[in-house]
Amino acid sequence: MANSSIEFKCTSFSLSVLHLKTSVLADVRAILTKKIAQAPDLFNLVPVVVNIEEIAGEVDYLAIKELIQALNFTFVGFTGAIEKEQKLLIRKLGFSFVNSAKKSSTSTGNSEVSKAQSAVKVFPEKTALYSDKVHRGQIRSGQQVYAQGQNLVVIGSVSAGAEVIADGNIHVYGALRGRAIAGAKGHQQAQIYCQNLEAELVSINGNYWLSESMEQHWASPVYIHLNDNELTSSKLI
Amino acid sequence: MARIIVVTSGKGGVGKTTSSAAIGIGLALKGHKVVLIDFDIGLRNLDLIMGCERRVVYDFVNVIKGEATLNQALIKDKRVSTLSILPASQTRDKDALDKESVGKVLTELGETYDYIICDSPAGIEAGAMMALYYADEAIVTTNPEVSSVRDSDRILGMLASRSRRAELNLEPIKEHLLLTRYSPKRVTEGEMLSVEDVEDILSIPLLGVIPESQAVLKASNAGEPVILDKESDAGQAYQDVVNRLLGDSVDFRFLVAEKKGIFSRMFGG
Repeated sequence: MANSSIEFKCTSFSLSVLHLKTSVLADVRAILTKKIAQAPDLFNLVPVVVNIEEIAGEVDYLAIKELIQALNFTFVGFTGAIEKEQKLLIRKLGFSFVNSAKKSSTSTGNSEVSKAQSAVKVFPEKTALYSDKVHRGQIRSGQQVYAQGQNLVVIGSVSAGAEVIADGNIHVYGALRGRAIAGAKGHQQAQIYCQNLEAELVSINGNYWLSESMEQHWASPVYIHLNDNELTSSKLI
Repeated sequence: MARIIVVTSGKGGVGKTTSSAAIGIGLALKGHKVVLIDFDIGLRNLDLIMGCERRVVYDFVNVIKGEATLNQALIKDKRVSTLSILPASQTRDKDALDKESVGKVLTELGETYDYIICDSPAGIEAGAMMALYYADEAIVTTNPEVSSVRDSDRILGMLASRSRRAELNLEPIKEHLLLTRYSPKRVTEGEMLSVEDVEDILSIPLLGVIPESQAVLKASNAGEPVILDKESDAGQAYQDVVNRLLGDSVDFRFLVAEKKGIFSRMFGG
């Protein structure tokens, strides 16, 4: 009785989590709208889980869901409820409750709810959330290319004296002879890939190497990543 | 439509003026109408290399300022009738040129000439930017040495971003690599970058390789562009460059060190 038309499997996904710290949804809307305006492509239809852990007082689940959808996110569910009643209420309203594998450690005892700017925080938790900025052709000495809020893909080489920067990963399908700075705004999982490593400097999330530290894989195809906050290079092929 | 070709490099002393003079006269000898413009305002050299320094009355800046007409400033070459030179001013500086006036002069020249060769000053400042702004093609002159290659790379970036073609989103400037002062012997000894090394770093098509040659200095001092010295290897290499510019496919010469004699030929290979 071979039946392979369906199969249940457990798969982990990376999702954006929106941490709400206020129940005043008008504030949340204003801040989110501003954020979206900065990078409309980055947020469009992004699946979002809402963390309600830090909201003091009543939570209007339905209103939150509608707000999220109105701003063109894909609403997935709630997370971070501590009390049982809250979980039950969420289920009763027909929303899914998502348990994260790792408990968020952002909450500190004296969090100020009144500070509007910090009331909402969007965590791009994994690289998969970044879109790609593609640069065709060589990046010459003296040129600087920054992929803000994106990964950077260079189809060509990066010359000595040139600089490539990305908030996400950097891929160079040629020789990397200049400087490459990945995870520029603080992104631990950012990586740098290149066909030929002859860089002046590589940096991930503020940790950097000068060329002398790259001897092991000099002039070969490698990727560079952080391993316990230490830069590590590994052969690509 | 005239082809506007800028001879540029970033770094000084690599052979821009020597190459401009040789290529200009070479194209003219093929029957094309050519004008050579010296953009190095304040450091006038092209007239010396061309051997017409005593015939400079008016210059490029005079024309820009409306103090002289183009015809008054242009110097006709005595060897080739289809070649003219527009000399730079020695007493002014590079701010004397502005985009609009230069554009007008180039348009006017374009009505008469087939090739406009712009000899760029070194550097990446206003003067060099002015020389490359209107170019259709660029001959990036490079010595096989790291600092020269780095500066050429920088200029290639400028060609792709600061030119008129880049600003108007037209077809990009056609780039050519001209390797000068090449010494195959020193490449073999590992003292100099090879053609392949430079091509790998700059990744633009190779137009020519001019060997390091005593003939170049001699030619410069005599005011006789080296291409006229048909016996010299540098002169022949420039002739190949001119032919390639005109669309011929010519094999590259002078890339390997000359064999010393019968013994090296027997044992070397």
